Amino acid sequence: MTTITLHNVLPEVFAQRTDIASDLWQQDVTFERGHLYLIEAASGTGKSSLCAYLSGYRKDYSGTIAFDGGDIRQLRNSSWTALRQRSLSHMFQELRLFPELTAWENVQIKNQLTHYKSDADITAWFSALGIIEKKDARLGCMSFGQQQRVALIRALCQPFDFLLADEPVSHLDKENSRVMGEIMMDEARRQGAGVLVTSIGHHMDLPYEKVYRL
Amino acid sequence: MKLIWKLLRKHVSVGQLAGFFLANLLGMLIVLLSVQFYEDIIPAFSGEDGVMKNTYVIISKRIAAVSAFSGEAQTFTDGDLRELEKQRFVRRVGAFTASQYQVYGSISMAGMSMGTDMFFESVPDEFVDVQWPQEAAGGGEVPIILPRSYLALYNFGFAQTKNLPKLSEGIISLIQMDVRLRGEGGREQRLKGRVVGFSTRLNTVLVPEGFMRRMNAELAPDAEAEPTRLIVEVDNPADDAIASYMQRCGYELEDNSLEAGRATYFLKIISGLVMAVGLLISALSFYILMLSVFLLVQKNAEKLQNLLLIGYSPARVALPYQLLTVGLNAAVVVIAFGLLIWLRGLYLERLWQMFPTLVAGRLDNAILIGVALFILITFFNNQAIRRKIRRINLNHGSSH
Repeated sequence: MTTITLHNVLPEVFAQRTDIASDLWQQDVTFERGHLYLIEAASGTGKSSLCAYLSGYRKDYSGTIAFDGGDIRQLRNSSWTALRQRSLSHMFQELRLFPELTAWENVQIKNQLTHYKSDADITAWFSALGIIEKKDARLGCMSFGQQQRVALIRALCQPFDFLLADEPVSHLDKENSRVMGEIMMDEARRQGAGVLVTSIGHHMDLPYEKVYRL
Repeated sequence: MKLIWKLLRKHVSVGQLAGFFLANLLGMLIVLLSVQFYEDIIPAFSGEDGVMKNTYVIISKRIAAVSAFSGEAQTFTDGDLRELEKQRFVRRVGAFTASQYQVYGSISMAGMSMGTDMFFESVPDEFVDVQWPQEAAGGGEVPIILPRSYLALYNFGFAQTKNLPKLSEGIISLIQMDVRLRGEGGREQRLKGRVVGFSTRLNTVLVPEGFMRRMNAELAPDAEAEPTRLIVEVDNPADDAIASYMQRCGYELEDNSLEAGRATYFLKIISGLVMAVGLLISALSFYILMLSVFLLVQKNAEKLQNLLLIGYSPARVALPYQLLTVGLNAAVVVIAFGLLIWLRGLYLERLWQMFPTLVAGRLDNAILIGVALFILITFFNNQAIRRKIRRINLNHGSSH
């Protein structure tokens, strides 16, 4: 997948509003593989909705979202499964980790599906992000900031053309968010992928090529 | 897979699954038992060793009150015969041919002579359970076969009360009798006759078919000899199709050879009813399992959705639950068979007391039906789970 295009997209809940002033909603926007984008949003501007549309679990919008020109409304379950395994990685704002599994198992449950990273790679990331001693702790016992790091590692354990990082550092300090940004961009560059980062104010310090205000 | 199971086994309700397990086991056992019992008991009513050994039935047309006086023919036409031969339970059909001439038989002994008017009948030779003597076809003596019951009637009824000597089969076959046949227009034949055997199957005075045809042609060339009785060899006299066919055509059976057929029919209905109850219980247990799994899916909906969103296919997410149901169903089948074999041992013992020569039926059909039920239930379980999990994916697609 090389492009994600939004054509005149508007969440249905905004349909009655006339004061939409957004760089994304009701515009023609194209995200390309290999580039880094920041989507800045205030609360209630539909950031979560956008992520949900791009991940294919909500369809309550007007307009057209297309992957490589193909309308994603037409995608079948099996195509979404393939996309989520090989083309589109999503680090969810709400993390969507499994609290009853350990941190390590949370990553493994993804890597066992994709067989993309070696245990050594994953261990190295745990170390770099300072959560190696929490590897075998149950996720439910970890802080949200620690869980965010586990979620990032999980998101990187797959091939992707686009990485959608939804408020990846909302609960991290500057140093940790720097390390996270580095790891994320290293992997994205290695894969030649496009990266879409969203944030409400506090965001990773990265060389964004284009910033959209939602 | 291990991790997925670790996630999804949460909320698995042992109580509900045990409920399903027992209900399904009960349903399956009842179905299998009804099938197997039917298989085991049916030889007692049919077949060589059964209560019904006789594979020949003798039929006539029912004599209605009206036709008895109207003189309407009670004979079988060629059409009736052909129709009967076409029935799948019929092996072959033979017609009784009646003599179209008068028969007078007499015995002379020590200067004393006693005689009586009588009649002859014949059936095709292959239906006779006594061997005709070799010279039967030639002239000379007419070989005659009497019903065994006549001899018993004479020995134990008549001779006993009249102080007459009892006669053995051997003695009777030594007695020669004079037979006078008188046909149309004063044609007459005087012959010697001899009783050559006693039949248990045929309740009439029999002469060989060839002799009968010759004499009818000679003595009554103009008379049509349409049969009034037929002897039918059937595959299985307990077949209830015979009873219903005879009923439909208004034919009557000479003895109670259809009692077994009725018993079989009754047995079939009972087995069918029991099996229906078993199937109903199985169907209900199926619903218990479905409800339990649906509840499980509902409770684990968020986890399932997360798995789908990180790239697991609905099929893969459904797999643990499907394996769970397959495992449960397989255990049900295996245990049901175990119980079936045990229970069968118990009732077979009783059956053997009643029918010592009974050969028990085979397990084939019960196995077939058990496996078919297992496949059917498992298939529908798995379809339902798949559909449910797909719907989770869609639901969240529209309502989040």
